[in-house]
Amino acid sequence: MDNFEKHIRENAAQFNEHKADRAKLWANISAELHQPEPKVIPLWKRPVLRIAASIVLLLGIAGFIGLSVLSGGTTETQYVSKELLEIDMHYKGLVSYQVQLVQNNPNLSEMDKAEFLSFMDELDAEYETLREEMRNNLDNERVLEAIVANYKKRIELIENLLQQLNDAKKSDEDYGYTL
Amino acid sequence: METDIRFTHQTLVEQCKTGNPSSQYELYSLYVDAMFNVGLRFLGNKEDAEDIVQDSFVDAFKKLNSFKYESSFGAWLKRIVINKSINHLRAKRVPLVPMEAHEFHLADEEPVEADAVDVQKVKRGIAQLPEGYKQIINLYLIEGYDHVEIGEILDISISTSKSQYHRAKKKLVEIIRAL
Repeated sequence: MDNFEKHIRENAAQFNEHKADRAKLWANISAELHQPEPKVIPLWKRPVLRIAASIVLLLGIAGFIGLSVLSGGTTETQYVSKELLEIDMHYKGLVSYQVQLVQNNPNLSEMDKAEFLSFMDELDAEYETLREEMRNNLDNERVLEAIVANYKKRIELIENLLQQLNDAKKSDEDYGYTL
Repeated sequence: METDIRFTHQTLVEQCKTGNPSSQYELYSLYVDAMFNVGLRFLGNKEDAEDIVQDSFVDAFKKLNSFKYESSFGAWLKRIVINKSINHLRAKRVPLVPMEAHEFHLADEEPVEADAVDVQKVKRGIAQLPEGYKQIINLYLIEGYDHVEIGEILDISISTSKSQYHRAKKKLVEIIRAL
């Protein structure tokens, strides 16, 4: 800092040469500071409004709960349901076609058929439980996986059965030649 | 025992915190002229300076509870006045620092050494400074801020503050010499 700067800083008070219009400024400041607060009548102090407010609040809560219950089918669930529906259709078709195949198969004894169908009934029951779970909106993805697994199990069963039939047929056919 | 400058008028300030109008007036009386001069230096006209000073006092009294003696009350209040003045100038699009390329002249900026000059001459010199030069001269020479503080007030970097100050000072010294 040179002498020029030092001199000015030391004599900075000399720059305060003007006088403010104290009375005028204070009048404005005071008016701003001591404005009478606008009277606020607290609505909640009136008994009628208190009751009304309580009713509105209760209705609001009831509405909220109602909405959240009703909106069980949110977009996500709807999306999952749609996905499930498509998978369901696909497998249902596949399963019923193969069940039909089994039932119409002349090479199967009634006992084998009954045994097979009882397995199928068990899986059907499991499937219904899973669908119920799905509706209760538990863990959608896991339930969905279980449903698909259920279908796969059925198809596997049917395939196994058909494989067995084919194998039996083959060995029957081969039997003549080997002899 | 030495009294810390930050606690100047502490009793009065504390009384004002409770909203006592006579204490408020007393504190106002102590600072109004100084603040009016600060406003006048920045804004250049009485009406704007009065408006800013009024606003600043109203704000200061309303926010007094946030004043924690980190600086003196006067310094705190002055900062409010200066911030409001700078915002006012910004709103009116008055340049706050010289408009020429800000960052590229650090090397060619030679410090200007000057001797003590009569304060009256300095005042006339400052009055003749172009827009954009006055604020930084005011902030550094008269209000006594350092470049870190000026950087905060004008929202510029410390190096910009330094280079712009040197530029403005050079101009001021030229003007004064020609007087």
